[in-house]
This record gives sequence, C-alpha cells and structure tokens, in this order.
Amino acid sequence: MLALASVFGPQGPLHLLYLAAIAALIGGLAAVERKGALQLMLSRPIVLAPLLGWALGDAEGGLMLGVPLELLFLGGVNLGGNLPDNETLLAGAVTSMVVPAGLAGRGTEPVLAALGLALLAPLAVAGRRLERASERRNGELAALALERAAGGDPTAARLNLRGLLLPFVATASICALCVLCSPLLAAVRRHCPHRLELGLEGSWHVLWALAAATAIRAIRDARAPALATFGALAVAAMAFAFRMLVR
Amino acid sequence: MSDSLVQPANAARRRVSKLGLAKVFWRSLFLQAAWNPQGMQNLGFAYALEPALGELHPDAAARAQAALRHLEFFNCHPYLAAAILGGAVQLEERVASGEAPPESVTQFKRALGPPFAALGDGFFWLALRPAAALAAAISEPLLGMGCLAVFLLLYNGVHLSSRLWLFVRGYQLAEGLVEEVARAQVPFATTLLKASGAVLAGAIAARAVLLAGLHHRPWHALLVGSTIVAAAALLPRLRLWIALYIALGLGLALGSGLF
Repeated sequence: MLALASVFGPQGPLHLLYLAAIAALIGGLAAVERKGALQLMLSRPIVLAPLLGWALGDAEGGLMLGVPLELLFLGGVNLGGNLPDNETLLAGAVTSMVVPAGLAGRGTEPVLAALGLALLAPLAVAGRRLERASERRNGELAALALERAAGGDPTAARLNLRGLLLPFVATASICALCVLCSPLLAAVRRHCPHRLELGLEGSWHVLWALAAATAIRAIRDARAPALATFGALAVAAMAFAFRMLVR
Repeated sequence: MSDSLVQPANAARRRVSKLGLAKVFWRSLFLQAAWNPQGMQNLGFAYALEPALGELHPDAAARAQAALRHLEFFNCHPYLAAAILGGAVQLEERVASGEAPPESVTQFKRALGPPFAALGDGFFWLALRPAAALAAAISEPLLGMGCLAVFLLLYNGVHLSSRLWLFVRGYQLAEGLVEEVARAQVPFATTLLKASGAVLAGAIAARAVLLAGLHHRPWHALLVGSTIVAAAALLPRLRLWIALYIALGLGLALGSGLF
C-alpha cells in the first residue's frame, strides 16, 4: 500500500485520472489562449505552471518550475510566419508530470524538476511542429470560408473559431498523458542513487544560469549587456552592503 | 483631415450600435484563432467584423459580399489590429451609406497593417512582455505567488487599456488614427522598457550567482557566473534545446563529482 502511494500519490490511481482531466482542461485552454484567443499571457510559463500546479495540488511547486521556464523562453517571439518554440506545451507538460510525481514523494524539488525537464524538453520543438500543422489546417478553413462567402453565405467567417480545436485537443491530450505517466517519474526519482541526486541538483542550478543568460539575450537592444552588467553589479553591491550591516 | 473624418456625425449615415461595437471588440480577441500562412489574420478579421456587417447590411447577399472583402490577406500585430478594426467599422458605415467606395476599406487595411505590426511587435513582444516577466521573476522570492499578479497587472494593465483605446480611437478617427498613434510616444516607451528589462535581467543573473554561492560555496558561484557569461555569448549560435541539454549535462557532471 505504501509502495503504491509512493508512485501514485496518497489518493491512489483513480485520483490520477481526475488530475489528468484537470491538466487536460487547463493545458488545452492555455494552448488556445497562447495565440488564438485573448492573449492575456495566461499561457506563459510563469502563469501557467503555478496555476496548473495549484489545480494539481502544489502551487509553489508549479511556481518553482514556471519562473526558470519563463526566463528560458523569454526571447521566443512569434513575428509573422516565424514560429518560436512552444513554451506553453512544455510548461504544461512538465508541470503535469512533475507536480503529481512530487505529490507522491518529497514534493516538487530540483532533482525531480531537472529529471522532468530533461525528459520533456523536446516537446518545445514538437510544439512548434504542431503549430505548423495547425496553421496548415487553418489554411484549409480559410479557403473553405472564402468559398462559402463567394457562394453567398454571410456567416462563413464563423469557421474562425474551429482553428482553436487542434491546439486545444493536442495540448490537452499531452498534458493528460503526462499526468498519467507521472508515477513512472516518481518511481525513477525514488530509485535515484545519491550521487545522481547531487548531479541533478547541480543541473537545476546550471539551468538557472542558462535561464539568466537567455533573459539577457531576450532584450534585443545593443545596450542590453552593459545595462545587465549594471543591474548585476547593483544587486551584488546591495548584497555586500546587507552582509556588512548584518555583521 | 476633414471634419467628417474626425466626427462621423452624419445623420443620414448608417451606424453600428454600441452593442455591435462591443461585439466587434470582443471578437477581436479571437483575431488569430485561425491564423494561416496564406491569409494570416484574414479569417479572424472577417469574423470580428461580422456583427457590424450584420447591422450595416440587412441583405444577406450584400453581407456576404462585405465578408468576402475582409477575407483577403491581412496581417498586423494582434493588439494594434484593434485600431484597424475600429477604423474598418467606420469605413464600412460610410460604404453602407454610399459615402465611400468598398475599395477604401481595403486600402485602409493595407496601408496601416505593416507599420502597426512593426510598432506592436517592438513594443508588446520585445519590450513590455520581457520587462513585465522579469519584474515578476525578480519579485518572486519576496512575493511568492504574488509575482503572477505583478506580471499580469503590469502587462495587461497596458495591453487591455491600449487595445480598447486603439479600437475606440480607430472607430472615431479611421484614417486620422495614424497621427494619434504617432503622438503616443511608443518608440520612447519601447526604449525605456527594454532598458528596464536589461537591468532586471542582470539583477536576476546576479541573484543566481549569489544563491549558488550560499553556504560557503564560492566555486559554485564561479561556475554559475561563468555559465551565464558563456551562455550569453554562445546562445545566438545555439538552439535553445541544445543549450538546455548542455546545461543539464554540465550540472549533472559537476554536481555528481565526475570532474
């Protein structure tokens, strides 16, 4: 019973299905919000991961995943036909897998987060391909709308909303699948040797370093490196002054 | 600019009701639902205008003809497009009243789409969003989940008010909108936000170094600092996912004591 709880979480396998449905709904809505509807930035990793984490039972865990993911994908911009990596799909998938796995063990912590990210990182690129496929499908919808309008149908443009279907279904399915696979991640985490744990914890620190670097690169301005250096020195000086005061 | 453009208060002109305008604005939030490489936002634009066209053209055939006009290629920044939608509603009113030819709507959209796209991309995607996200990330250790509010309020406070203002002014001014937007000092605000974002990104980098060096681990701090500098230099030549696996591998090797 204890072994079962350590991979499926304290509420058992049935609860996992409930969590999968929640992840599917939130992940799917986020995929739609990312480009097709509203664009209130609810689908950005810094918002999606904590919200999804909260819905799955660990908001703080979601936040721990969301902040570095946001920084990593800060520079990704959809300009015209140029598609960036799909940060929403990755954030949704990683949160859907890591948070339930954490609930079954020691909570969402750096080792689990690094494992989850290492496993799911290719989804960011796969998400871009998915978006391309969705655009091709939208091209067919637009052609159909043109045909209908030319035939005298004044409501032809309502086909627009059908474009939201594919991103919703694809992302919802992936998020649900990630929740259902979370016991595997929990099992891998449980059997991690101590040395590997240390290594994965180190990975999380280095990942933060990469996230900070990508954040600097995300500011597309010639003066960004100089201004970033100024910001870094200001924080270092404040930390030094604080330390002196505390002494 | 003639008075008739600034104040479309012609009593004989067919007008879209306030409810109709509200519906157009709401639908403008779905402008990119069916974004496609051929027509880009064409389907979304026609969809958003549908309530206005419905009021202006009671005849179904005329309405379909008007919809067809808006199913042609259209591309703009999704937020700045609100201004063009507002202007298109006013121009459609003039077309329905026989004051302007249908081509005027097409010309208006073609003229304003590209410059507004560049303006919106530069301000919203490349300046406001990074600055708001970095402000949220830097406030996270202090505010916890409150950092979400920082991000969403900073971003959407500007985003939603701009979008609504652009739509309303677009409807009121149509062609006169260009001067109004030029007065908004968007390039200056963009520069300021980018500078703030860069300083915040530097602060986050320093925080990562300091955290790694806690508990008397100067070598960890040095490693994180070196990684930040090296990654910032190499990133333009590396794909992000490759950089991500290199970082994970490096951390794994160092953390587990392989070196």
